[in-house]
Amino acid sequence: MSLHAVARLDDIPARGPLMVRVGALEIGLYRVQGEVVAWRNRCPHMAAPVCRGVVTGTRLPSAVYRYQLGRDGEILQCPWHGWEFDLLSGEHLASGSAARLRGYPVEVVDGVVHLRLAVSPVRS
Amino acid sequence: MLPGRSAAGTGLVDTDVHQAVHDLLPYLPLQWRERWATTGLGTGTGYSNPRGVLRRDTVPPQGGPPASDPLFLLSDHLDRYGIDYAVLTGPFVLPLGTDPDYLNAVASAVNDATIDGWLGVSARFRGSILINADDPSAAVAEIHRLGERPDLVQVLMATTTRQPCGQRAYHPIYAAAAEHDLPVALHPGAEGAGSASPPTPVGYPSRYLEWHNVLPLTAMAQLNSLVCEGVFELFPTLRVVLVEAGLSWLPQLMWRMDKNYKALRDTAPWLIRLPSEYVTEHVRLTTQPLEEPGRPEHLEQILGMMDAAHTVMFSSDYPHWDNDNPQLLFRRLDPALRARIMGGTAAELYGLSTPPPQESLPPHSGAPTSATSTLAEEQE
Repeated sequence: MSLHAVARLDDIPARGPLMVRVGALEIGLYRVQGEVVAWRNRCPHMAAPVCRGVVTGTRLPSAVYRYQLGRDGEILQCPWHGWEFDLLSGEHLASGSAARLRGYPVEVVDGVVHLRLAVSPVRS
Repeated sequence: MLPGRSAAGTGLVDTDVHQAVHDLLPYLPLQWRERWATTGLGTGTGYSNPRGVLRRDTVPPQGGPPASDPLFLLSDHLDRYGIDYAVLTGPFVLPLGTDPDYLNAVASAVNDATIDGWLGVSARFRGSILINADDPSAAVAEIHRLGERPDLVQVLMATTTRQPCGQRAYHPIYAAAAEHDLPVALHPGAEGAGSASPPTPVGYPSRYLEWHNVLPLTAMAQLNSLVCEGVFELFPTLRVVLVEAGLSWLPQLMWRMDKNYKALRDTAPWLIRLPSEYVTEHVRLTTQPLEEPGRPEHLEQILGMMDAAHTVMFSSDYPHWDNDNPQLLFRRLDPALRARIMGGTAAELYGLSTPPPQESLPPHSGAPTSATSTLAEEQE
């Protein structure tokens, strides 16, 4: 494991990913609640390019026939089956599901985003 | 100890026995008697078994239609097979009609006739509260009228309803059932009858054989609705019994619901568990007509996919043609699982964990001759 610079912080859009490539690995960088997170572009369900999905909110768990929108900008919806992932934790929102996105530790140093990775990054 | 009672003390409970009621007229309000006398229910499915639905061998020796003599039913069915308790599921479920007042009156009449003619005869009988589910307020009133009787152990409605039965129009029924701690049983027979939708999503099959083959479709549609509409979140103590709908489709539906829930949970955000978890906690299925695959181990595998020790309950469907013989069912199965299916789960659901009391009943005959062994030869 070593620290690799992959992007300038300013290049990451407020909503939606900045894609970076690390060898054969595609990683999406997202801003969530003022933090930067890095998720592998591969859905744990069917290996879809999950980072092509929309960043959105969700309907929060609620009483029957009550609808409560929330978490806008914090949910990544896979472009294939629509599985919802928590961009902060990587967890699939469905109860009873153990699926989660594969993530990488992020460190921002002097406006540069670093990932802890085993291979050298290549900017996409 | 009755013959069916196992060493573990688990009895044999038949969860689907159809009693006949001799004469509803005295139980109907005056304004409906002429209609009942002239037309009865007045609406059928249009499908009939050319051999008849009622077994010829169940005609009581003293006369009357099959399953019309409680004492003969005790001899002919419960004693013959060592069945501790029979849950009576009525002469019919109500078809969708056009006159709710009439159907409501018939439901009450069946219930009162059953109380008078059956439940007082033997403590081994338990009854169902028949309702006309498509008039929910009347159904609720009927549940409240009878719901505190200890010998009525469930609410009974036709599997066929005018809308998917998990939708909110029907919720007052589940609230009332839950208030009285009564399961709600859905029983087929009204598929395509009266003013109901066609019995399949593609219309009307040609013959009874086909109609009967896909009766599970209705149960699947209703279970799907009950789970996804959040009925088991709204009524966390509610139990639903799917009677006579088969078993083998359940794993498929649970898997499909779970898969779609993982993708689309936000469209039913009140579901906070996998749909299959609601099913195994809240839903029970009765066995008859049990699927008979060419390789019995295939059915055993399916039982393993649906937590059968907690979801499956034996039923015979006496006195109907497509009945199952409890002595021949699940003979290869693990004895502990078999005991759960044959009585354990039903005993828990219906509060029948203690053996029935010894009764001194009037003499009743009709004891079996060689029927059991003959059946065994035919089945094998």
